[in-house]
Amino acid sequence: MALLEVHNVTKDFGGLRANSDISFTMEKGELLGLIGPNGAGKTTLFNCISGLHPLSSGRILFESEDITELKAHEVARRGLARTFQVYVASGDLNVEENVMVGCFMRTRSRIRAKARAAEILEFLNLQELSAYLVSELPVAAQKRVTMATALGSDPKLLLLDEVAAGLNPSEIEEILASIKHVHYELGVTVMLIEHVMELVMKISDRVIVLDSGQKIAEGNPEEIAGNPDVIKAYLGERYVKEHGGEL
Amino acid sequence: MEAIKDALDFSDFPRVDLTIAIAVLIFLFIFPLLPLSAFAMATMIQFLMFSIYGMGWNTIGGYGGQVDLGKAQYVGIGAYTTAVMLIRWDLPFWLSMPVGVCLAVGWSFIIGYPLFRLKGHYFAIATIATSLVLKALFEVWDFVGAARGLEISPIKYRPPDFWRLIFKEDVYYYYVILGFFLIGILYMNWFRKSRLGFQLRSIKDNEDVARSLGIKVRWAKVKTYAIATAFVSVVGSFHACYIKAIEPEDTMSLDISILIALMAMLGGAGSLWGPIIGAGILIPLKSYLKEWLGATAGLVGIDLIIYAMIIMLVSAFEPKGIWGIVEKIRRRKRK
Repeated sequence: MALLEVHNVTKDFGGLRANSDISFTMEKGELLGLIGPNGAGKTTLFNCISGLHPLSSGRILFESEDITELKAHEVARRGLARTFQVYVASGDLNVEENVMVGCFMRTRSRIRAKARAAEILEFLNLQELSAYLVSELPVAAQKRVTMATALGSDPKLLLLDEVAAGLNPSEIEEILASIKHVHYELGVTVMLIEHVMELVMKISDRVIVLDSGQKIAEGNPEEIAGNPDVIKAYLGERYVKEHGGEL
Repeated sequence: MEAIKDALDFSDFPRVDLTIAIAVLIFLFIFPLLPLSAFAMATMIQFLMFSIYGMGWNTIGGYGGQVDLGKAQYVGIGAYTTAVMLIRWDLPFWLSMPVGVCLAVGWSFIIGYPLFRLKGHYFAIATIATSLVLKALFEVWDFVGAARGLEISPIKYRPPDFWRLIFKEDVYYYYVILGFFLIGILYMNWFRKSRLGFQLRSIKDNEDVARSLGIKVRWAKVKTYAIATAFVSVVGSFHACYIKAIEPEDTMSLDISILIALMAMLGGAGSLWGPIIGAGILIPLKSYLKEWLGATAGLVGIDLIIYAMIIMLVSAFEPKGIWGIVEKIRRRKRK
């Protein structure tokens, strides 16, 4: 049984079609990568799935139930958590408190929320940072905190929006390890948006490619790497002609 | 159970804070025993009242980051409910105060639900508008005395009347409001650690993030707005018995709303001690300015000029007020 089914999702902003007739399904336990050049509509698709944007048309099912019309907080309560690309922290909450906000989705008790937050922070190796304000941390740590916060709500499906953007290679390795850790040890199904193609290719079971709001390819990483449409989308027509379609 | 424990547990504050807090508390308890003027006593009662107003405002304005400049309408609802019930039906304070809270909270839901569609400055302006509209209504409503207001005549009752809260000496009022003040602190100490408290701070950070963490943003705001309203309404009821003469102009005017917001903003929005610090600075300032300047030199508006300057300074330099400065210094020391 599919965990997430996206049927013909279209999203218009005025005259701009950000997502056009996108369909795919995700099985439980999968690690799916969503790639595409800037402006391909990846984040819009995330916003549609997580209920922040109403769809223009199409349907989204989560655990075979229709969540198309649900509001963002209701979608979250069903077990679909997400991170945000640009995390704007006014600096009021420290790391531990941030994760606790996530945990409070499942409990009213502060003691239980605190205990759960401590577990998650330890799991992601963030326990030493727990007293810092998020705004005081380097970007790489901030990204891991957003992951921890999303995990606080005990999600079944975790959508990660560009967690590797702006990181250096060693930090990317680190976050990659965190994602794998969450995926394999906690058994969370993960979908990640990524710019850094290399990262997606390395860890995804399956990859979906968007370009100009349309799904142009879907398959395992090797298939995607050899797909001429994908290379065209990323590198342009000329590169394909000159190099014979190999990445 | 956990809630009561949280309300009584101040252990996450450093020892300095607690020492100062206890010293202030002892001072507050023995204050009436000191040989001070009636003016000092009146100022002290005002300080406690505005601390509680500020604590209420701090829930939605401080923790939730929703700048509310219309709290005076709920002072009015509380005050008028108590005054009307006492004058017309001889119903005592302890009965009219909860009724006032219910009316104020009910009104806050009616106002709050549509208002929280707005954000930022638009929300602030809308709260001012609703408050002024209610004031204008009270000014023409004969049942509540229209613009003349209502007067509670103390001659009818035999003070000290604890049931109706009619006293001759201010010291009784002082201890009653001190009791409310302490309950307010305990409530706020629970609130800041409660789920709602955390959710509000998350909403203040980023509403989309809050939503995706399962928080019903508008409902959380409306609920908190109602909590803030309850605080304000209780003190409004007290105000009616204490001042004994209420009229729309002095219970529901815009400067009351601004002053309420200013307590927490100056002291430190979103902190437990902030509103108390703010009230501790602003209320004596206000009283003495009125005493020294207002009456003599025709400088009636000078307190308003000072408030305006404080708002500008706080928002330009330290949005988290005096407490924000203290916390910054502490953070720097720890590193």
